[in-house]
Amino acid sequence: MLNKLVRWSRIKSPWILHLNSGACNACDIEVIAALTPRFDVERFGVLLKATPRHADVIVATGPVTRQIKDRIIRIYDQVPDPKFVIAVGACAMSGCVYRGAYNIYGGIDQVIPVNVYVPGCPARPDAILDAVVKLLGKL
Amino acid sequence: MKFQIPIGPQHPALKEPISLRMTVEGEVIRDADIRLGYNHRGLEKLAEDKTWIQNIYLTERICGICSHSHATCYVQGVEKLMEIVPPKRGLYIRYLVSELERIHSHLLWLGVAGHEAGFDSFFMYTWRDREIVMDLLELISGNRVHYAINTLGGVRRDIDEGQKAKILEGIITLRKRSEYYFHIGANEPSFVARLAGVGLLTKEQAVSLCAVGPMARASGITRDVRKEDPYAVYDEMDFEVGTAESCDVLGRVVVRVKELLESYKLCEQILHKLPAGDIVVKAPRKAKPNEAVSRYEAPRGENIHYIKSNGSDKPERLKVRAPTLANYPATVEMLKNGFIADIPLIFAAIDPCICCAERTVSLVNIRSGEETVVRLSDLRRQAIERHKNAPPKRNAVWPF
Amino acid sequence: MTDVELIENIKRDLGAKALEVTNPDRRRIFLKVGPADLVPAVTVLRDRYDCRYLATISGVDKGEMFEILYHFASPAANINVRTEIPKASPHVESISPTIPGAVLYERELQDMFGMVIDHIPDPRPLVLPDDWPAANYPLRKDWKFERPQEIIPGGKS
Repeated sequence: MLNKLVRWSRIKSPWILHLNSGACNACDIEVIAALTPRFDVERFGVLLKATPRHADVIVATGPVTRQIKDRIIRIYDQVPDPKFVIAVGACAMSGCVYRGAYNIYGGIDQVIPVNVYVPGCPARPDAILDAVVKLLGKL
Repeated sequence: MKFQIPIGPQHPALKEPISLRMTVEGEVIRDADIRLGYNHRGLEKLAEDKTWIQNIYLTERICGICSHSHATCYVQGVEKLMEIVPPKRGLYIRYLVSELERIHSHLLWLGVAGHEAGFDSFFMYTWRDREIVMDLLELISGNRVHYAINTLGGVRRDIDEGQKAKILEGIITLRKRSEYYFHIGANEPSFVARLAGVGLLTKEQAVSLCAVGPMARASGITRDVRKEDPYAVYDEMDFEVGTAESCDVLGRVVVRVKELLESYKLCEQILHKLPAGDIVVKAPRKAKPNEAVSRYEAPRGENIHYIKSNGSDKPERLKVRAPTLANYPATVEMLKNGFIADIPLIFAAIDPCICCAERTVSLVNIRSGEETVVRLSDLRRQAIERHKNAPPKRNAVWPF
Repeated sequence: MTDVELIENIKRDLGAKALEVTNPDRRRIFLKVGPADLVPAVTVLRDRYDCRYLATISGVDKGEMFEILYHFASPAANINVRTEIPKASPHVESISPTIPGAVLYERELQDMFGMVIDHIPDPRPLVLPDDWPAANYPLRKDWKFERPQEIIPGGKS
């Protein structure tokens, strides 16, 4: 009974943390644009939080650069269980145009496990909303 | 008694991960140090392995807000190298997209400035209007960001009469709304008082530290590549360079507002003067050994690309210098002798391609070595509280 | 003042220091000096030709030599000063005392090419990560990079 209540509250109101690991900022603006009145992700109960310790879902953009790799692992460890990761944009999926550069490892899944991939360069805010809804549907 | 505060790479306030270390004494910042490198993607080395056309797509993705600026700067330089001149209509369309990009970037920044000063409704309003510009850009090019409308020798897509009418309609709506917001902003004494006197950068400092863009123009220096080094269509257009004399964050807001209004004027002029003709000229595959320096006025400042060719179909050297890098020494100067509570505002004022999120600041007490974590949202809330209860500065006037 | 007049004035002021001056395009002047004459030439340009604004500093790897270009912009024209130093002993004097905004660009040159800028006020690396192995200079032409094997999560690699 308590489990059902907890699960219901998780689905109804996931809190997200926005993590940028060396991206060009286009996907990041689309994530923030999803909060604005036109797309309005807050009607799903989604809130943009600052600190990893309060978040349920990590929305990650950007290819992983060498400098930020350890920080990503540290942040992932700070998010309490159960946690989910959404990789937004082509850079987070596989590195986009930066594949092969000396400072880049590739997509986010080289460093932390990912649940949902959102393609696009940049991914439209509608696609990001769709990803959040699909993730909630699977819970 | 000096503390050192690191503001680490995962900071929600700014999109780009950079790391700052501030040495503070009480509430006043004495010194600041910036650690770059989280965003270093090895672009200049990648560019040497790709052909001229492939590099257009690579340079577009340097930055998401001013993607057209980098692509256009690169394409201008390569056209100089190959000594080809694109047709007039192609140039007009290219610079129409530039001005639309400037509009969207300044609206974005106004929202960010409002959010950092505690004025959240302003943020929501300007971003809602920004969606109008994004729709227009999607109409012309097919994508909201990374338009890919440039190609060597011209542009890839044409504008027809229906699109032209829609753009003009959109600009009329935007202009009406923008003027309404500026009227609100000017008559809101707490907003003006929050921004006045913060982040001072004198004219001498701005000149010696080579500041660019609205940072330099807010300190009274008339430096705009569109007027100094007019490229393509700008010597046929009639517009003014906006400057301000107050050398602080309020001056930077005023400069950007002036530029926004000038951009509306420029877009209308470009559309009315659009000539008929071809949009593209064929470009050769290989370039003779030559070198070119290409400068362009991006929304944040001056963008400069240095391109060198060696006779093959790949560049020998591509050097890119984005405007925010040029403003970093000036930022360090501005942060000195400022308050901790003003950090988000000063950082937002240089417009570092970053958006709103919060930063976690960890205060290290040097003597005892213990660490306390303070969230920047708390700092921002404290700053807003403090300024709400302080008497408004009677002499802070909207200089417009 | 047109480009031609500007070039005449520069040649007259710098005398023997200006080794080669080219004008490939309107408002673009490329001026070559020896590495020892760099700081005096930059000082003359700053004082008499209003070149107080340094746009950026580029480095080019030419095999045996490094070529460094200083891009200045004045209201009359863009003056680019180039100098060449040997790769075996890449030392060049810093222009930061004359132009304070040049520090970041010189730090980047040190990082990416391995040049040594003498008397630079702040010699720390700028863009490369903290755990970068020393003596690896990415922008040199002979530096090759071996991509690490990519892990495909949950699949066959």
